[in-house]
Amino acid sequence: QGCVDHPIVLTEAVCNPLYSRQMMSELLFECYQVPKVSYGVDSLYSFYHNRRQNWPCSGLVISSGYQCTHILPVLEGRLDAKNCKRINLGGCQAAVYLQRLLQLKYPGHFAAITLSRMEEILHEHSYIAEDYIEELQKWRSPEYYENNMHKMQLPFSNKLLGSTLTSEEKQERRQQQLRRLQELNARRREEKLQLDQERLERLLYVQELLEDGQMDQFHKALVELNMDSAEELQSYINKLSLSVEQTKQKILQAEVNIEVDVVDSKPETPDLDPLGSEQSLEDVESINEFEPLFAEEQPEVEKPVAAVQPVFNLAEYHQLFLGTERIRAPEIVFQPSLIGEDQAGIAETMQYVLERYPKEQQAILVQNVFLTGGNTMYPGLKARVQKELLEMRPFQSSFQVHLASSPVLDAWYGARDWAVEYMTREEGWITRKDYEEKGGEYLKEHCASNVYVPIRLPKQAPRTTEALAPSRGLTSSTGNPCEQA
Amino acid sequence: QSAGGEAMNDNKFLNTDSSTGSAETTVKPLPFKDPNFIHSGIGGAAAGKKNRTWKNLKQILASERALPWQLNDPSYFNIDAPPSFKPAKKYSDISGLPANYTDPQSKLRFSTIEEFAYIRMLPSDVVTGYLALRKATSIVS
Repeated sequence: QGCVDHPIVLTEAVCNPLYSRQMMSELLFECYQVPKVSYGVDSLYSFYHNRRQNWPCSGLVISSGYQCTHILPVLEGRLDAKNCKRINLGGCQAAVYLQRLLQLKYPGHFAAITLSRMEEILHEHSYIAEDYIEELQKWRSPEYYENNMHKMQLPFSNKLLGSTLTSEEKQERRQQQLRRLQELNARRREEKLQLDQERLERLLYVQELLEDGQMDQFHKALVELNMDSAEELQSYINKLSLSVEQTKQKILQAEVNIEVDVVDSKPETPDLDPLGSEQSLEDVESINEFEPLFAEEQPEVEKPVAAVQPVFNLAEYHQLFLGTERIRAPEIVFQPSLIGEDQAGIAETMQYVLERYPKEQQAILVQNVFLTGGNTMYPGLKARVQKELLEMRPFQSSFQVHLASSPVLDAWYGARDWAVEYMTREEGWITRKDYEEKGGEYLKEHCASNVYVPIRLPKQAPRTTEALAPSRGLTSSTGNPCEQA
Repeated sequence: QSAGGEAMNDNKFLNTDSSTGSAETTVKPLPFKDPNFIHSGIGGAAAGKKNRTWKNLKQILASERALPWQLNDPSYFNIDAPPSFKPAKKYSDISGLPANYTDPQSKLRFSTIEEFAYIRMLPSDVVTGYLALRKATSIVS
């Protein structure tokens, strides 16, 4: 126990970062005590599995997985790494796109449209159109739509968003909220009135002091009130009495009027009294809070209007109609602008990669275009790729497109073939001794692997372990001068 | 390390007998893992016993960039596909048909009159949803 005592073949990303490989090697060699390890690229293993008699051969491998799509030129059995390209779109992004489209189209079923159901739709009901624009034109006609639209039945749920309330009930709710708001406003005004009146009384009392001729007390009171002169006091009194009058009038008005115009609570005449202005702003804000509540009930008015009528097809309410979404979702890998991605689609990237080679090599590569990966299992993909190649290749040149025999599992089969063949050989395996001498990011190249770039990574030293420190010291002392770059 | 590894191998045969005999303790002994192993990721710059400083992809790529690559070396960020040279085709946000028209109020694209009527009835969150899908939301609102 305490170790895994058979060799391991592991797949990694194309141009896997050295840090990731280092971490993985460390885990395998030091934690699990694996004797030897080999890293490879999954699509290249798949290519190896589907080889015909003339191995090593060249070809253009297009592998589309869950998260990204790679275009890998293979020359004489070895990956030509400096010319490979990766598009960051795959099955996952297609599922998310489909999910958002359907959620926006059927906002009532927001929670029922889950990613796993989207994946089911993608697997079973989607296809790739050979000519996208033409296919869309076909979908314009109503008969084609009726014939080819797929209806997905969602499980029944009692909770119908928003349509349980009829429009009358909504009116009721609105009235209640209005009434509550009015009461709140009235209460606030009364409080403010009281405060103002008290203050007015105090100011008047101070003014009387002045009139009575008690200058010392008057000046002391002025200082307390934070005012400078008698004129200021007078103007303050005037303004305050004015606002008191206005508030009294408003209260009278509100009691008389049952229907207050909710939006009409514009801020009152700017008082010097800060308390008053705060309250008026608060009124406006609280009304604004209520408004979004009104606004989001608005769109439901259309549906409940239909729901009030007794005939309501509950089965149809729970159905999603898939029309052009069937071709739109898988299309993002060919036209990433549907999702807003800047990158070029598969066709353009293929053209870009091919153009980095001289013409003879282009012809060789194009003779063996190989499609693999789970995201390539849409019906119609092969025809589409053939059409794109026809468009971009010179007139009357030939090309061949092959699909992997089982795109999802071929990587495993290819790795198994490779392991079985190379089990006893030395090449391609990283042994424990190699790991200790050359560090975790060392990679031995073989027919299905990445290209190794010999850059040493500084080894991460743990903080407080003496037991492991000597061995680490051993490996890090053989580091390169470029280590500390 | 290698001596320790071989000792582990010897212990393997002994442990198989004892593990079948021993009852399930509170911590189940992991059969493949070397129990003395401490990952080098533990105990990074931050102090503490429990933190395992894993890096996320952005951090990994950032530190990868800092390494001395040559000009033509392939690396994870080098092989990103280039942006498209051809102008994007415009499709309707609602139906996916080729769209010739854009609604000036909400900036959604549509291809038929019925779609336009439907767009004008949409609540604003659905509209922003469609725009976000195309990554066309404006920063200034």
